[in-house]
Amino acid sequence: MLAAAWAGLANAGIFWIFDPKGTMADTNLHYMIIDVVIMGAIVGITALLVIWFMWKYSKGKNRGKYDAHWSHSNTLEVLVWGIPIIAVGFLAYFAVKGTFEINPYNPTVITKHMAPKGDPVHVDVIATDWQWLFIYPQYHMAVANELVLPVHTPVFFRLTSTAVTSGFFIPQLVGMIDVMPGMRTKNALESDRIGVYQGIASDYAGAGTSWMTFPTKMVSKEDFQNWVSKVQASPKTMTYASFNRFAEPYINVNHRVVYFSNVESGIFDHLMMEVMNGKTWPLPPAMTENMVAYMQKQAAEHRD
Amino acid sequence: MLVQVPGGWNPLLGRLAIDQIPYTNPILAPLFVAVVIGAVIILGLITYYHKWGYLWKEWLTTVDHKKLGVMYIILGLVMLFRGFIDGLMIRTQQVWANGPQSSGVFGAVHGYLTPFHFGQVYSAHGLIMILLAATPLLVGFMNIIVPLQVGARDMAYPYLNALGLWITAAAVALIMISLFVGDFAHNGWFGYAPIFELQYSPGVGVDYWIWTLELTALGTTLGGINLIATIVKMRAPGMTWFRLPIFTWASLSANIIALTSFPALQVALFLVACDRYLGSHFFTAGFGGNLMLYTNLFWIWGHPEVYFVILPAFGMMSEIFPAFSEKPLFGYITMVAASFAIAGVSWLVWLHHFFTMGAGPDVNSFFSVATMLVGIPTGVKVFNWAFTMYRGRITYTAAMLWAIGALFLLLVGGLTGMMLAIPAINYMVHNSVFVIAHFHSMLLVIVYAIFGSVLFWFPKVFGFKLDEFWAKTMFWLFSAGSVLVFVPMYMLGFMGQTRRLDYVFNTAWHPYLVTEEIGIAVYCLSVAAFFVLLYVSIRDRVKNRVGQDAWGTSRSLEWLTHSPVPFYNFAVTPHVNARDELAWRRHNGINEAQPTQYVDIHMPNNTGVAIYIGALTFVLGFALTWRVWWLCLLSLVAIIVLMIVRSWRGDPGYIITAAELEKMEREAMQRQQQVEGHLPHHGGQAVPGGAMAYEGQKVSPLGTPPSSGGDHH
Repeated sequence: MLAAAWAGLANAGIFWIFDPKGTMADTNLHYMIIDVVIMGAIVGITALLVIWFMWKYSKGKNRGKYDAHWSHSNTLEVLVWGIPIIAVGFLAYFAVKGTFEINPYNPTVITKHMAPKGDPVHVDVIATDWQWLFIYPQYHMAVANELVLPVHTPVFFRLTSTAVTSGFFIPQLVGMIDVMPGMRTKNALESDRIGVYQGIASDYAGAGTSWMTFPTKMVSKEDFQNWVSKVQASPKTMTYASFNRFAEPYINVNHRVVYFSNVESGIFDHLMMEVMNGKTWPLPPAMTENMVAYMQKQAAEHRD
Repeated sequence: MLVQVPGGWNPLLGRLAIDQIPYTNPILAPLFVAVVIGAVIILGLITYYHKWGYLWKEWLTTVDHKKLGVMYIILGLVMLFRGFIDGLMIRTQQVWANGPQSSGVFGAVHGYLTPFHFGQVYSAHGLIMILLAATPLLVGFMNIIVPLQVGARDMAYPYLNALGLWITAAAVALIMISLFVGDFAHNGWFGYAPIFELQYSPGVGVDYWIWTLELTALGTTLGGINLIATIVKMRAPGMTWFRLPIFTWASLSANIIALTSFPALQVALFLVACDRYLGSHFFTAGFGGNLMLYTNLFWIWGHPEVYFVILPAFGMMSEIFPAFSEKPLFGYITMVAASFAIAGVSWLVWLHHFFTMGAGPDVNSFFSVATMLVGIPTGVKVFNWAFTMYRGRITYTAAMLWAIGALFLLLVGGLTGMMLAIPAINYMVHNSVFVIAHFHSMLLVIVYAIFGSVLFWFPKVFGFKLDEFWAKTMFWLFSAGSVLVFVPMYMLGFMGQTRRLDYVFNTAWHPYLVTEEIGIAVYCLSVAAFFVLLYVSIRDRVKNRVGQDAWGTSRSLEWLTHSPVPFYNFAVTPHVNARDELAWRRHNGINEAQPTQYVDIHMPNNTGVAIYIGALTFVLGFALTWRVWWLCLLSLVAIIVLMIVRSWRGDPGYIITAAELEKMEREAMQRQQQVEGHLPHHGGQAVPGGAMAYEGQKVSPLGTPPSSGGDHH
């Protein structure tokens, strides 16, 4: 019944967490249902019990027997400790199982069944202040602020950041993972369903975070190949030097998307090394105190 | 060695300059004018009525734990209001700045707050609500109630108690002045590395944040030491460990957490300060720094802090439920065990605040299971409250309504907390507004317990009850507001809305954001109801006066002395015979017995040193924020000199003679006669204090039927 109610909500289309479109998000929802069913039963029964006591032992109504001194019962003590212990023990089993299944570094829900699915796609994700750069090392190309991926294909991400920490999150496809400067995290996803899914910067990274969104397009394998050819034909190229200019603070209010061809290999690792050696991208004092004025300045500089 | 800061600096004023005062800001400038006018009116009224002397002698220099507690609570309520206004601003910005078509004013592209200001508002909201509203409110209650419940005359260290209050007040002053001089941190109340480093936050906001936190941590640590010492060493004769009232137990467990965890926060922030002032690299991304080290250190304090605030709230509920169910707390021993279990586990769960950091599944599994363990003792507490009502005789006073509301909120918070404890679920809702709704459910448990306690213990402190009608009106309005704000927020979490969005990109969320805004409006009505409640209650105070036992069904030692409590608490130190001492005495018909004989009392003197040191810590914090080095040195030296001078002189205290005491007690009893219509009787024992200090021999223990001859009325 609960599942049916959730399915109904999912049809409304805006409850992204109840409407997963990929293996990872499916697994997350699976564990959410287990947890809510078990805990919901306990919490619901407890709530009803409290309401019943409130009704029965209300003063002056004489519905229940009053016992001025009753404050102990060994049976009840066993129950009040026993029920939570059993529930927690049960849930702990699922918690550990689920943690391994969707471990971002080696999600067994994807890796166990990988062989027949074909070659995985690798994407290096770099969060700047405040844009996303997706480098496709297999295709020597990169895309800013848009993620395009083929269906029926495992996708493996490596993630880092230039300046500050943020989070990488596509609610209908994969849960959050932190992106941190000078550090490398990993994540993975796989989806069988064509569509466009919202990507979000899930952790506060400064003034431009709210606009740091990106569409994630799951397309057929053929469409993906066509799209790769299109990006590879882009006149814009990227070296580590030009990446550094790209990574200057930029608020992506107008959701620009940029394609880069002939991307120098090793930008991700080079960046990691440079940040660990102390490179920063300082922000001018109170850069966004007046956002309108800043946007005019950003437009005047023709950074696009 | 000192780092170069961007912008101007001069030896006399540090970074202070006229352009640091936001006099052109369309929100802050009118607010500043209003604050100045309000301050002039208040100060003028105090002068006009010649109340400066009274204020100084009775309040500002007091070491009386009850007055200090009242000041803590007033401070906490004022900051609760400020934090609420911040919350109102956050909600208004999000409902306004929704979708690319939304308008913008005051330099914002969408809404009325630029990202720079929005970040400050929500950072201040979080910091204020947790550390400068909930914490002082709870410390205030512990201050007032714990010494009374253990039968002490004051805290173990009365002067230290005053010092704790004034240092907390200095922290409040520091965060309030950041509104009008400079700006506040934008990095969230817990701070992110490396965004709080100088490269990414060059202003003074983060410095305000550091020193506000350092001061409040210091004040709370001092309070923790004091409360632990009071509970361990100051118990009245007969008050064995397992006769200790449950709120006192909860306070003990909470303050052990405070004493052991706050230093971790102070060290973490000290290291942040080193990075920003001395150019070290503890938490930078490069040069060997480790930014996640900060997050770990912060939450090693941060999670125990969560239980530091929830445990006293559980203690309050454990006092309110028995009093209005007219029977003892169910499972007292397990309740104590559960409190200490929660306190113990609180140290093993910090990583669940950042499961998404990318730790391995083994580490995440450990912290996941440890987190779920918290659910066991918490579940036990909920069941114990339920079985306290079972076979009871429940009166639905406003205080009881708040406690029941807290219980239901705890069920909601527990359900969602168990979801967040599982990494496979957490990855989907971490950093979303689902988390916000979860911890607001839990913090509302505290707020509900606090309002319940305000109603429950107000007559003890002030001698009259608060108006029940307006208290219940406030409860229902507040609860309606909570539902309207946080149910849509849970739903938005399932829709994928992440937290801290200055601009909300998805217009499909608009109806939910609007509902939240309506909830905020209902909250505003409940705030209004609270002010009406205070006004009506004070107006009708003569009608609502109470005797010793304000509710007639109270159970613990604090209800044994007069209401309002005299400054010496108990005329003679009571002897404790049972777990619920007053219930036991009522059962044996000696609950109104008064002393027959008095002895001299030794009391501590008032001192101005505490408020001087508090003021100097504010100056020190302000000077450090603005890097005015000469003023830092001066205030630091002054603090040290004052502490040495005070230690040298000590406090000999003063004596209330038995004759003076008898006179004051006679007057108190006459007041009580006017309220209750009869005179409390004298205890018949020929020992100093008589029945007040009664050590029971020939009286029946609780649990046997009351004898017919026990009633003295």
